[in-house]
Amino acid sequence: MAADGNTERTLSVDSRGRLLGLHATLFEAVLLGATLFGIVSLCILFGYIAFDAFRPLTASIRWYLLFAGTLVLPTTAFTLYARRRPAVRSANTKAFGAVGGALTVTLSTYIVVDALSPYDVVLCLLFGGYLPVVLWLIVRRTKRTPQTGLTIILAAVGGLAVAHGGYDLLRPIVGIAAQWIAYFGIVTLPVACGLWIFGRRRWSRQTARRAALSALGVVLLIVALALGLGIDPSFWVVVLSAFVIPVAVVIGEIGVTDPAGRIGSAGPFVLVGGLSAFLAVERQLGIDGPDGYLTATLLLESWHGLNASSAGVYPQIVGSIVTVGVMGVLAFPIGIGGALYLEEYAPRTGWSGRFATLLEVNISNLAGVPSVVYGLLGLALFRNALGFPTGIVLSAAGTLGLLILPIVVVSAQEALRSVPDSLREAAFGMGASRWQTLRTVVLPEAIPGMLTGTILALARAIGETAPLVIIAVATTKYSPPDGVLSSATVLPLQIFAARSNVDPAFRHGIVPAAAVVLLVLLLLMNTAAIVVRNRFDRRSQ
Amino acid sequence: MINQESTPAVQSTAETTEHTESTQASRGPAIEAHDLSVTYGTETALESVDIQIPDRQITAIIGPSGCGKSTFLRCINRMNDRIDAAAVSGALSFKGTNVYDESVDPVALRRRIGMVFQHPNPFPKSIYDNVAYGLRIQGISSEIDARVKLALKRAALYEEVSDSLEKSALDLSGGQQQRLCIARAIAVDPDVLLMDEPASALDPIATAKIEDLIAELSEEYTVVIVTHNMQQAARISDRTAVFLTGGELVEYDDTETIFENPEHDRVEDYITGKFG
Repeated sequence: MAADGNTERTLSVDSRGRLLGLHATLFEAVLLGATLFGIVSLCILFGYIAFDAFRPLTASIRWYLLFAGTLVLPTTAFTLYARRRPAVRSANTKAFGAVGGALTVTLSTYIVVDALSPYDVVLCLLFGGYLPVVLWLIVRRTKRTPQTGLTIILAAVGGLAVAHGGYDLLRPIVGIAAQWIAYFGIVTLPVACGLWIFGRRRWSRQTARRAALSALGVVLLIVALALGLGIDPSFWVVVLSAFVIPVAVVIGEIGVTDPAGRIGSAGPFVLVGGLSAFLAVERQLGIDGPDGYLTATLLLESWHGLNASSAGVYPQIVGSIVTVGVMGVLAFPIGIGGALYLEEYAPRTGWSGRFATLLEVNISNLAGVPSVVYGLLGLALFRNALGFPTGIVLSAAGTLGLLILPIVVVSAQEALRSVPDSLREAAFGMGASRWQTLRTVVLPEAIPGMLTGTILALARAIGETAPLVIIAVATTKYSPPDGVLSSATVLPLQIFAARSNVDPAFRHGIVPAAAVVLLVLLLLMNTAAIVVRNRFDRRSQ
Repeated sequence: MINQESTPAVQSTAETTEHTESTQASRGPAIEAHDLSVTYGTETALESVDIQIPDRQITAIIGPSGCGKSTFLRCINRMNDRIDAAAVSGALSFKGTNVYDESVDPVALRRRIGMVFQHPNPFPKSIYDNVAYGLRIQGISSEIDARVKLALKRAALYEEVSDSLEKSALDLSGGQQQRLCIARAIAVDPDVLLMDEPASALDPIATAKIEDLIAELSEEYTVVIVTHNMQQAARISDRTAVFLTGGELVEYDDTETIFENPEHDRVEDYITGKFG
């Protein structure tokens, strides 16, 4: 019974313990190595691409000093200052979010609308957007029917049908108006309406109306000014309505509440001020910056197959944005519909239940099918069966839409599953029908998750090349698409084509620069997805 | 026992809320089950239950876990319809109408039989929107403010939230959330309130508040409450039904009789804590 000498337990480290400790350390080191290997190789790759795109070694020391002094130092100092004070930091984040978000929305709206012709867009909006809303308001005023949602959908579909049917008649009538009036209808009116609705909730009815009316007034004033000076006011209407007014509202709101917010909202101004100072001094003193390929020329000019220094990928950027937009419009409703059926309606038992399970398994499997195969499907469906012309935006968007559809369905299913069943029970227990439960309880909770999943899927599709090669989308284009039925190319395809250019400046300059542009687009979309998800998380806490 | 020919009180109509026959029907039983059985696949959850639940009284349902208490409660407003595998046989009538009749719309039925769940489950909306939910889905748009205020007052919550009706319901404490769920259920003025262990997730003080509230509500509503807490059943209920393992209704009588002089030994054993 008594403990004999060799089994006596001590608390000090013995050789066996030391060996086990060594094992644990080694295992941890191997795991760290695997993590680092992945990250470091990616960093080297991206660094290599960025190095070729920017060519930082060609800039002078003076340029770097100027860059650090006007941009890096003030922004870093402000960030460090803001980091210590939570109120300043949150205001700073909001201000940057507002500026970044508004800038993205403004530029993409202008690019897409400019590509598609503002008159066509305003025609669609007039019949498919404003008409249903006005009709809905009239219906709501006169009768108390629960079918308001249906009214608005039917009116929108009907309106679009009218716009399509009477296009040849209506288009010349709309075309009489100046271009800025079309932009006014596309951007300014919705922004003013949004301001009014937002303001009614946030402030009082009177303030909201005043804010909306003064927004309209300011835009009209600037238009008058521009017309007086003989400048085309179109671009300024968009910038003012979609960028200046929302940013002013957000920053005004932050600043009114507390002084810390006022300091915090200065963040974007420090950056913008630094940038303007940098550009002014650079031009004034004639300091040479890096002789890179990622320049304003690359972003704003058309493609040029012979001269790398004047080649731009503007048509490709527009092509990518338009394709992604059409893809989203096609894939989102269908994918959400499929997910809603599978999660909320599909039977769970019997033969029909088994069929639903089979569908579900197949959809998950389709998410892993190689993209080249989707290219063949797109070719067979759009080119051969439906007879679309080769390489138009619609067939590219349709093919990529099919590619991301399973991902959209699966992520939307996840979002629906994350809505607690107790909420559905509560709604059913209150006597809500299945549709009412979906509309009032399940969808509001699940929509942010669905949007996040869809944006991530779109971000995957924006870089797809293989299926577009299969459906014969042009790899080089010199002008942006002017509608969903016109041919276009996208950034990855142009990168693919530029890679085989005889001029090494293309292969070693334009290719990495365009790749950086593509990566930035991707980053923006992922950021949008994260922002949507975080908003959702904060609300559900 | 079950009057199948009487005018159906619940039909497939959307409009409800105001119902005049409740005074006239106050004498007879509100809910009546006859030979009611429920099976989930091969498992029997309820075995041939006969019960008459009186109008405007509190009926407690007690019994050990898995004895079919919640299943019975969920039969009354047909929440079991959501489970594909559940098969119901026998008859269950609400104010003389068999609720499992072809012509009965479960949605309309649930509008007259409110339900409060074990865990507070307010919608992630404002307090006001939670209480107004039932009114809005029924298409009622008149006097929503007044109805919301009244329901919150009846649920003894108005004093605490009157300044913050626009705040999220999720910011309330557990006890407040449960009273909000009760306010939400009574805002549409149902005939019956079904409560599935409404206080089991709450602390003693919140529980006491809920119990007082239930006692007050029984003046206007028929309350059926499932509970694990025998003292609670003894404190608040007028009638008590004891279900024992296998989904069998063993005894159903006045609460006093059940707790002081039960007929069956098994019920006495359960109540005195010898098993269960």
